[in-house]
Amino acid sequence: MRTPILTVYLKELVDSMRDRRTTLMIFVTSILMGPLTLVLMAQFITGLEEKSAIRKVRIAGQQFAPALVNFMQRNDFEIETAPADYEARIREGKLDAVIVVAEDFDQRFLAGDNAKVEIVYDDSRAESGPAIRQAERVLRAFNRETGTLRLVARGVSPDLAEPVKVDHVNTATPRQKGAVLLFLIPMFAILSPLLGGMTIAIDSTAGERERGSLEPLLTNPVRIAHLVVGKWLAAWTTATAVAVLTLGGFVVAAALYAQKRLAAMITFGLPELVQFVALVVPLAAMTAALQMLICVYGRSYREAQTYVNYLGTAVSLVPLVVFFSGLKDSLWQLTVPVLGQQMAFSRIVRGDVLAAVDFVLPSAIAFAVAALCIATVSRLLREERIVFGRS
Amino acid sequence: MIETSDLAKHFGNVEAVRHVTFAARDGSITGLLGPNGAGKTTTLRMISTLVTPSHGTAKVDGIDVESHPLEARARTGMLSDARGLYVRLTARENIAYYGALRGMAPAAVSRAIEKLAEWLDLGELLDRRTDGFSQGERMKVAIARTIVHDPPNVVLDEPTNGLDVMTTRKLREVVRRLRDEGKCVLFSSHVMQEVTALCDEIVIVAKGSVVAHGTAESLLAASGRTNLEDAFVHLSGEGAGA
Repeated sequence: MRTPILTVYLKELVDSMRDRRTTLMIFVTSILMGPLTLVLMAQFITGLEEKSAIRKVRIAGQQFAPALVNFMQRNDFEIETAPADYEARIREGKLDAVIVVAEDFDQRFLAGDNAKVEIVYDDSRAESGPAIRQAERVLRAFNRETGTLRLVARGVSPDLAEPVKVDHVNTATPRQKGAVLLFLIPMFAILSPLLGGMTIAIDSTAGERERGSLEPLLTNPVRIAHLVVGKWLAAWTTATAVAVLTLGGFVVAAALYAQKRLAAMITFGLPELVQFVALVVPLAAMTAALQMLICVYGRSYREAQTYVNYLGTAVSLVPLVVFFSGLKDSLWQLTVPVLGQQMAFSRIVRGDVLAAVDFVLPSAIAFAVAALCIATVSRLLREERIVFGRS
Repeated sequence: MIETSDLAKHFGNVEAVRHVTFAARDGSITGLLGPNGAGKTTTLRMISTLVTPSHGTAKVDGIDVESHPLEARARTGMLSDARGLYVRLTARENIAYYGALRGMAPAAVSRAIEKLAEWLDLGELLDRRTDGFSQGERMKVAIARTIVHDPPNVVLDEPTNGLDVMTTRKLREVVRRLRDEGKCVLFSSHVMQEVTALCDEIVIVAKGSVVAHGTAESLLAASGRTNLEDAFVHLSGEGAGA
């Protein structure tokens, strides 16, 4: 004989699987979402790098600045004359940056006055960044060469004009650079259990209320807590399944990129997956229970869906806040649900080695929150306003 | 055997049930008759443990429903006002789910389903998803689900509401069969003809209290009226307007 918990668990799983369209949509999305995002992001980054590798400048009015043109040619820059309507084109996003030479450039340059050039660009588009920086670099190099020659001609040491010499030393390993890109994987690790647990969480609470099957269900000789635990286990199962599929998709995508230049940046293989899953399983237990708790208040499937979306928005803010606020790791974060997981996930993709406490603390808190939610749902299902309050 | 003793329930200031005391015997169909809002549904919900009484007790086969709800539920089949089915499951799966929840072995569930399918003419409906079932078909599945564990007590809340003649007749047939098997059947309705056609004993409830209890004949005698409709109107105290 099956225990009531198992009976409820199996029924909820079968019931939700029968909804083919929703099930298929969720599973296909979860499998494809990761790789798709990763590939697009990777291509975007590669594109930027390729752009900055090309030594090419666009100039308007190059005939006014033979010295500058000569400098560029000596330094192997490809010079392209900008079209007359360059400003409009930049605004449309068809051109990245154009160096515009003033008509009196040569006169002033030869006289030793400030010769004027403009760099025209639209920096609201991230992909024009490399071209802007390239134009700046060329002009700075030209300035320095000309300035140095002039000082030397006057018998002054060029070092006087450069009291501080700046060299860039970037300590980020390629993998840490990748973590900026890979903030996406922690975000998906947090959002995918929400997507996966949603259907059963709604259907087994607000859905039961809406179709009038809750009241008869409660006349069965089964403890309400057992009914709730069975439903929660089912929601937890699908939440975990969707999360594991999503993260598995990232592993596959990262493996596909292993041959390319990005390989050093994206290290998300089996060891990382195992650590992620260790954190995701308790996280899914919590999100599924939270979803059930808020859905119990919904009198209809639609109403509950709205509540679930609010929860999803609230949870998805955590990775964004962490990303944009640049929060540094510390122990208290592990005690905050979702934030603790987010910090641990970020550290895993950065290649840090996590201590046991980084796994145990957030997971213990997740299970505690789940238990609290289950107890509350069980209590609410005893309340007449929930059982009989139908839309 | 279902007994209530001075059962009362109030929701805030609203007294849904004031004093309900009656007993429904085994091997007998007891009808709870009363106008809409008399407190029938709340009374049945208290008996089936869905609502906690504010006062008084209800017992199922001598088991107090408040202190031993699981035991009381195991001995009762309650067809409530809400009869929602799981539309993505077949009729058989809907019934079997309740069988399993009541601790029946799969083989026993199959046997019970075969028997009830015959009683209720479920036939080829059994293995179809309940999505798109007519109201009558949904009702049949709901009844089968209610009594799949062969409970000694069956509580039916307004079971004939919204049913066509054929399904109503089928339902009456099932209720009589249950009585003939020696079960205690408690049946609520606001339709007097329904109750007099089916019930061995009638409990008239009005404004949350039992106002009369007995067979159709004894109620007639008690009211001093010559037909049951007059007797009902008189006993339920509804006066000329009812």
